[in-house]
Formats: sequence, C-alpha cells, structure tokens
Amino acid sequence: MTVGYATDDRPALREEPGPVRRRRRAIDPLPWLLVSPLMLFIIGLALVPAAFTIGASFFRVQELNPPTEFNGIQNFVKLFSDSAIVSSMGNTALYVVIGVVLSTVLGIVFAMVLQQNFRGRSVLIAVLILPWALPGVVEGIVWVNIWDGNTGLLNSVLTSLHLIGHYQVFLGQNQLVTILLIEIVQVWQITPLSALLILAALQNIPGDLYEAASLDGASPWQIFSRVTLPLARPGITVAMVQAVIATLNVFDQPYVLNGAASTGSSLTMETYFVSFQSLDFGEGYALSLLITVVTLIVSFLVLKLVYRPVEF
Amino acid sequence: MISTKKRVRAVALLASAASIALVATGCSQGASGGSSQTSGVTINVVLAVDPPPASVLDEFTKQTGIKVKWSNIDWDSLQTKIAAAAAAKTYFADATDVDWSRVGQLGRLGWFYPMENYLDTKSLKTSMPQITSFTDAGKVVGIPFDASFTSTTVNKAIFAKAGITTMPTTMDEYTSDLKKIKSEGIVQYPLNIPFAASEGLSTYWYQATAAFGGTVLDGKGRPQFSNPSSAGYKAAEWMMDALKSGLVAPASINVTDSQGMQTLMAKGQAASTFSDYSGNVGSLYDVPASSSVVGQVEYIPTPGVDSVATNLGNPDGIGIPVNAKYPKAAAKFITWFTSEQSQLDFAGANGPDKVISGYALPSRLSAVEALTTKGELLGGDTLSSMLKTTVRPVFPQGAPTWYPDFSRAVNTNLHAAATGDLTVAQAIAAITAATKKLAAGS
Repeated sequence: MTVGYATDDRPALREEPGPVRRRRRAIDPLPWLLVSPLMLFIIGLALVPAAFTIGASFFRVQELNPPTEFNGIQNFVKLFSDSAIVSSMGNTALYVVIGVVLSTVLGIVFAMVLQQNFRGRSVLIAVLILPWALPGVVEGIVWVNIWDGNTGLLNSVLTSLHLIGHYQVFLGQNQLVTILLIEIVQVWQITPLSALLILAALQNIPGDLYEAASLDGASPWQIFSRVTLPLARPGITVAMVQAVIATLNVFDQPYVLNGAASTGSSLTMETYFVSFQSLDFGEGYALSLLITVVTLIVSFLVLKLVYRPVEF
Repeated sequence: MISTKKRVRAVALLASAASIALVATGCSQGASGGSSQTSGVTINVVLAVDPPPASVLDEFTKQTGIKVKWSNIDWDSLQTKIAAAAAAKTYFADATDVDWSRVGQLGRLGWFYPMENYLDTKSLKTSMPQITSFTDAGKVVGIPFDASFTSTTVNKAIFAKAGITTMPTTMDEYTSDLKKIKSEGIVQYPLNIPFAASEGLSTYWYQATAAFGGTVLDGKGRPQFSNPSSAGYKAAEWMMDALKSGLVAPASINVTDSQGMQTLMAKGQAASTFSDYSGNVGSLYDVPASSSVVGQVEYIPTPGVDSVATNLGNPDGIGIPVNAKYPKAAAKFITWFTSEQSQLDFAGANGPDKVISGYALPSRLSAVEALTTKGELLGGDTLSSMLKTTVRPVFPQGAPTWYPDFSRAVNTNLHAAATGDLTVAQAIAAITAATKKLAAGS
C-alpha cells in the first residue's frame, strides 16, 4: 500500500545516472495562485512599508522643512541626542523587564491552574481572555479610575481596610512606581494570551511522565521544575516573545495614565510625537526602525536563552 | 466531461484571480483631484464630535442631494489620520476637523483648501468672531462650528457657604476667596487645575498668563514668560503655589482637564475651575446624569490683575482637505453646518429632536444671542458678553507651525514642576530654551 504520492508514476530523477537530460517540470500555477492573495497582503502591507521605512530613515523627511534629501545616519544621531527619546529608552527597558517577567510568571501560574479539571473552567478561560480583547485605551481609562488619587478604587479599598489614613497619589510621584503601575495595566492585558500559550504547551505533556515522576518519589516542586517547566519551554518562549513585542511597543497605557510626562513616556509615544506632532517623518522612520531592530534582537535572545526543542 | 478535480481546480483559479483583483483594487488609490459635483454624491465628514440626529442629516440630503457619512473619531486619532493622509496625499475625508492649534501647520503645509475658495469669509468675520483663530497668513483654513473659549466657573453654593456672595474680579480676590473656602473647611481642595502632562495644562497656563496681563509668545514666536516679572512666570508660580498651599488636590498632578471637570467640579469636590470651557455649565454641570451640583455652577468674568481678564478662544473648526473627493459638496455642507439656523437647532433652540449631544456654544454670535433671548443658554448673558468683548485668540498672529512641540514642552515641564522634579524657575527655563530652539527652526 502506498501513502501520499505513488512513487511509480513519477520520474525517478535521482536514480537515473549519466547524461539523461532532466525534464523541466511544468510549474503548477494553482498553489501559487492560491497563496498569492496572502502574499500580496504580506508584501503590500508588511514588506513594502518595511523596506520603505528602512530606506526613508536615511532621508531628511520634514513636512515643514522641505525638500526631502538624503542625510545618512543623521536621523539616528538625532535620536540619541534628544533627551526625551533617551529617557523614553530607559522607561521602555523597564516596561519590557517588568512586563515580560510578570506576564510570564503569572501566565505559568494561570496555565497551571487552568490545566486542572474543575467546574467552571471553560467560563474562567472565557473571562480570562477579556482583558486581552479590550483596546488599550479602554483599559487605560478603566485603570485611571483605579489608580486615581482623588476618587480611585484602590484608595477607597485601602482606606476602608484602614491600611492608609488618607488618599494617596500613586501615579506621577516616583518614576519607578509610576512605570510599575502603568506596566501592571499592560500585564493585565497580555497575561491571558501568555497563559493560553503556556496552557497549550502544558497540555501536550504526556500524563505518564508525571505518573513516572511520582512513582520515582519526586515532590510536587521537583515535578514542576524538572518535568513541567522544561517541557513547556516552547510555549513559554512564544509567550515571552509576544510579551517582548507588546511591551516594546507600549503606547496606550502610559499615554492615557500619565500623559506626555517624561516619567513614563515610551519609545512608541516618542515616535508618535516626532512623526505626527513635529511632522519629522524621517526621524520617526528611524525611531520605528530602531524599535523593530531592538524587538528582533530581544526576541532572538529570548529564543536562544529559553527555547529548547521538545520531543515526546 | 469535465472531471470533478478539474472543476475544483477551475473554481480555485477563479477564486484566486478574483481575490487578487480585490486586493489590487483595495490597494489602489482613490480618485485623484476633487470633483465639482454637488449633487448625488456622498461625502465623508470626520469630526471628534457626535453627529446631528439622522433626521437632520436626511433633511440636508433632501435639500441638496448630498448624502453625509459621518464618523466620530477621538481627537488624537483624528489628528494622526489627517497628518498621515495628507503626507501620503491620499483621500481621507471631504470635511474634517481643523484645530486652532494646528492652523499654523495646516496653513504652511497647504493640507486644506483656503476657505476663501468656497465661502465669503470676510462677511463671516463679524458674525463669527473666532474665525480669526483659524486664519493663517491671511487665509482662513477652517470655519469654527462652535465658540468654545476658556472661562472661569464657580460653584456659587460653595462660595456662599463661606460667606462669599460678591464674586471676585481680580486674581488677588479670587485667590483670597479660595483660601477662605479652604480655611473654613467647606471643601478640602477648592481649586481645580489639571496638572497632567497634556494639552489641558498648557491651555490653563495660557489663560492664567492672560489673567496676569500677558501673552506667552509675541508675534514672532519669541517667549514672553522668561522674566520673573512677566505674566507667564507669575502664572506658573500662582499655579504651583496653589498646589503647594493645598488649594489644589495633590492628586491633580495626574488629572486631565476633562477628568477635573467631570469628577472634581461636577461632583462638588472643587469650588472653581479658573480655566474651564464655555458651554460646560449647560452640557455638564447642569446635567443631573453627570453632576451632583445642578444649578450651583455659574460662569463669572475671568478675574485679572486689576479687573476682568481676557478669555482665550478654544473653538473647533471644520475644513476641506486638499485630497477631498467632493470639495464643493463639502463646502455646501460646511455652509449648512455652520449656519445660524443649524446652530440654533444643534443647541436645542428648536426642540430636542435636532440637538447634537454635548454641543457647546454656537460659533455665530447671532445664534448665541438668540439662544440667550429665548432663555435656552445657561449663563448666556455672561457668555455672550465675553464673546463680544473679552475673547481673543491664543495667538493673534496665528498659531506657530511648531505649536504641538511648544505645547508639549509647556505641559511636560509644568507637570514636572508640579510633581516636584523641577522648580518653577527650572521649568520656565526649560520651556524658554525649547521655545527658542523651535522658533529658530532647529
């Protein structure tokens, strides 16, 4: 019995020695045509703009000061001499570290919980995904009402519990606290996807591995650290990469919660200011390119450090 | 006979070809150049406000043959879309927002048609005093559709509880009254200043500067606030002193203008907003669903150094992008949308069926007066008098092209002063340095 392509009716090119001329196989247009709409989308909406951005980042493109002209790496030099952008680089690094660590740890915890069979599990998964589905601006507005120092929910709860005597100002007073509170809002948004990605990886782990570990006398912690975590690495890697991408591009949460203040401004906010307020598109392209390159590098590092192929 | 496999293949090929055609159509640019057609067309109107009721738009369609497709997009996103579409020279809308703060940029870049091409703008100057805020280098870029301006609001009930029945007319009296309200424990934080790093803080400072008798920039874009004796410097000091002395809630460092008005003033937690927006009494403070101080908040002439100060215009305008498909039809719409009759309808003079939700104040003086006479405009007498006598553009010579960067320098540095990261002197020095750099074109 043969499976898939029968080998008899196809030319066995490798087996024919000597001077036999290879017949050119006719190109079947169907597969190309079937993927062509998607290819057009990818080329038109991702590759062409990306190529354009790379090229244009080496040009001076200032709407208010034409003409557009080649200026080498001047746009990149300007980025590093702009104190607001340099400050936003530091802020963004903090967003990435806090966001990736928190969303990964919480994602693993939630995935472990959701892996158990309990009543209402499906409902919990549906509820868990809600923050991920909400637009960032809406989340920002919701959390403004939680962190707010005048009428915020957190102050109300802490006062009711007599943990604080009077309402406190949480956002804006201390840079690290401000960034932490803003990033908690983003973590709330991205953790559901992390949890589901890790859950999918956990569900691939065969149950007999846990059984064998138990029979060998492994403690629950040993089972978690020696069986679960290593075998869930592919899922954890994907979750971390999506967290890196999201946190490096954070915009809505700091913009809504902290305005343009330098205490929380991110790189994508600066891209917006440079491109759409100063109308300096050249510098905006350069900054966008920088964010993309950093995203690729950090994602690659995560991949190298965390990912290990797993076979069952 | 055609085999099933071949048939499937043919259908797949056809579907793929159709998809490619669809993608190609989607990626292709729309019509280039505007059509002069004014009937039987559909125009896209994109603004950051609610549309008029469908029946009102239908009536316009019946009269003109122009169908209106209205999109309400938040202000920030709208500005981004306008800039992106204009820079890419693509169609975005037939009529859209022209913000007074962007008039310098829009005028210089030629992203909007001069309204002189379509309307008699000279005749509009007397009936729409705020049209000057939309004029750059003698050309009108947009037509104001409301007459929003900064004005002082007070909760008279709170003032009365502190024994204040005569409203302040100078900054000294105003500050002294607020201190009295605080010291008598009527409200803990009587003054509302939105210290979040956003446009609302910049606008507040411009108005406070006007109250101290000055302007922030001169006609050539040079800073007028660097000297400690200048109005702008004093205004910044007054705002920071108000925060430090507890007239303003400490949490205001992250309060935006809309939050401050909707939570602090409308909930009776603040006694006054020095730089509030005209129309807020009718559209916010006197609306039971959004306010617990109905009937208590009123406009007062804005206190100044020795007497009443000027008020700064903050109107919303509408214009025609140069990539509009139907500029003439858009002009017809703008004429209708900004007519006295329409503005009276939108403001509720002719019943609730024609009202635009949240419509602030008509841009036509005659409409404001008609509403006041009919008793349909809360504080109409005060507002109408301000419009005629004290309202001025923030930048009489037109907003500079670098206004967005200037405003960001203002609000981020004043915010930093409010959080204690900078002193007033350092904040003013930073704003001055940024302004000089912007004015020099670097």
